[in-house]
Amino acid sequence: MSLRDLMAEAIAKAIDDAGCTALDIDTVIVGNMLGERLSGQAHLGALAASLLPHRPPALRAEAACASGSVAVHTACALLESGRAETVLVIGAEKMTDATNEVVAAGLMGAADADLDSPSGLTFPGIFGLITARYMHEWGLTREQLNLVSAKHHANAVLNPFAQFRTAIPAEKIGQSPLVADPLRLLDCSPVSDGAAAIILSTKTKSDVRLAASSLATDAVSITERPTITSFPASREAAERAYADAGLRPSDISVVELHDCFSIAALISLEDMGFASPGEGISLYSQEPDIAVNGTGGLKACGHPVAATGVKQIGDVCKQLRTGKKRYGLAQNFGGACATCCVHILEHA
Amino acid sequence: MTNPATLHRAQNVRNRRIQNGTIVSFTTVRHPPEGFGTQPYTIGLIALEDGTRVMGRLLSAEPASIAIGMHVAPKMRLIAVNKEGLRRYDVAYEILSDVPAKEEFRGYIIALTGPSGVGKTTVSLVLSTRAGEFVERVPILTTREAKEGDADEYTYVTAEAFADLEKAGEIVAVTHIPSASEKRSYGYRAKDIEKIWSKGKIPVVITEMHLLQGLASHFGRRSILSFGLLPPGKSKRQMLSSLLHRLRSRGRDTEPEIEDRMRNAKEDLTFFEERQELFDHIIVNDHLETVFEHLKGHVLKYAEEPAQ
Repeated sequence: MSLRDLMAEAIAKAIDDAGCTALDIDTVIVGNMLGERLSGQAHLGALAASLLPHRPPALRAEAACASGSVAVHTACALLESGRAETVLVIGAEKMTDATNEVVAAGLMGAADADLDSPSGLTFPGIFGLITARYMHEWGLTREQLNLVSAKHHANAVLNPFAQFRTAIPAEKIGQSPLVADPLRLLDCSPVSDGAAAIILSTKTKSDVRLAASSLATDAVSITERPTITSFPASREAAERAYADAGLRPSDISVVELHDCFSIAALISLEDMGFASPGEGISLYSQEPDIAVNGTGGLKACGHPVAATGVKQIGDVCKQLRTGKKRYGLAQNFGGACATCCVHILEHA
Repeated sequence: MTNPATLHRAQNVRNRRIQNGTIVSFTTVRHPPEGFGTQPYTIGLIALEDGTRVMGRLLSAEPASIAIGMHVAPKMRLIAVNKEGLRRYDVAYEILSDVPAKEEFRGYIIALTGPSGVGKTTVSLVLSTRAGEFVERVPILTTREAKEGDADEYTYVTAEAFADLEKAGEIVAVTHIPSASEKRSYGYRAKDIEKIWSKGKIPVVITEMHLLQGLASHFGRRSILSFGLLPPGKSKRQMLSSLLHRLRSRGRDTEPEIEDRMRNAKEDLTFFEERQELFDHIIVNDHLETVFEHLKGHVLKYAEEPAQ
């Protein structure tokens, strides 16, 4: 499937599910990071709009792995300002046509081209540095870290949209090949193709609404940060989202977070107030009160870069409906959390 | 990016990375990206002596022997070859010892940095007279001739004597300023600074970019309480014009010397912008009393903290 095919399928499913028709859509926003580099395709706004009968106004948003959620954030701004009434947001990424080296070099576009890339670093490398430091500071063990990907894989078994619907025992995670020490293959989210679409509207009624959409940024290079075991952008985006929605972390029942690498799940749980610093692993070693990456997360569901942020919101929505829960949260970040976007959903 | 233009730009900042440092974290990249070959290599996040952090290759026969906290020293190394065969060299880091060394902290040094004419000497004089029980000025070693209007801040030595002291390692921070007529050198001796510490006071030094970097790398960035002094003015042009005014009105320098100083001042202002991490506080020197009160507040805070 091409980038266009992926988008077409997601758009059709979103329209089927929505309480409106294609012709109600007055704006299209596409999140995508690597179209030019991996598919030779830019100009994705118009490409997506041309898949609709009436070709509405369209644009593209890019913020590395946070492109999807930033597209949603942009849609919220248009809706709140009154510029748009019904927005179709699509996140799409086509990655498997290129070789691994080209994908690795392309993803490094999310890091700092002056400060990070010249050393020969990759994204697994950046998170390898973060993991090594986290283990040094908090004494996290390899055996504990294994629990993260194992849990995400177990959660994906029943998800028909997951890339890997197989359970993997914890000890197998620690035996997989090293990618960027101490990270191993099964600590890393895969290279994936995928698209996700949601429709946001101020005029069509729905049982689920967005209660908050907040965006924060940080230094792109981790060399310019005083600490690498916590992500201030995540803290800031979450705190503002809680404030906007009038909620506390304990009010949230469903969380989809950005586990591009296993360590990122632990740091994100701590930064967003679901665990104290250094104790994120407790949500994997014990049975937590909240559902964390109930669909399998980036690890097992797949991580088609810009699709992820949109997909998470769709997945939180589905889980709130099936679980009859009230509040859910989606956290999506780009690079080493230089962009973080947090959305809170409320189910009536 | 490995085209000649980006490589050239990278070279301009490369020299700043030639410093010893400490490993903050490290990883071995098993699957290099496009253009970096196929063999695994180890990359460290390194905290350099001046406080900046950088990414750099770690040179070690055995990655298993590397640990967080180890000390490293810079070394040039071939990093990648582009399609046209252009070879890219970068600073890599060699492990210095297998034992993580403790960061030595011997005391604070107050450093005042700023362009010529901004009032560094005046501020340091006021500080040492009015807070004399806490701070003392460190004499500057210089090869230049004594001039009327010099305060007692200089120790004058011949160029030969200066070179000998530098060779002997007694001078820990040095700068050479070429002027139209001669090359002048300025420096600080470790023993002058240590003498002031032994009296229980905080040494005050007047620095520019080379002296500041020299002190930071000898005593550790942590030891330096680094104050940047800027002339008043909203733009670089206004700042330079207020400097020119001060230099002319103090009447110590000849017109060609002033031209020299203005040229250096321009570079200094750029240095402020580019190396913000070297400064803890930036102070605009528009009113001496305010500047003094500001500095005194910091001095009292640190004077109460005992040296370890």
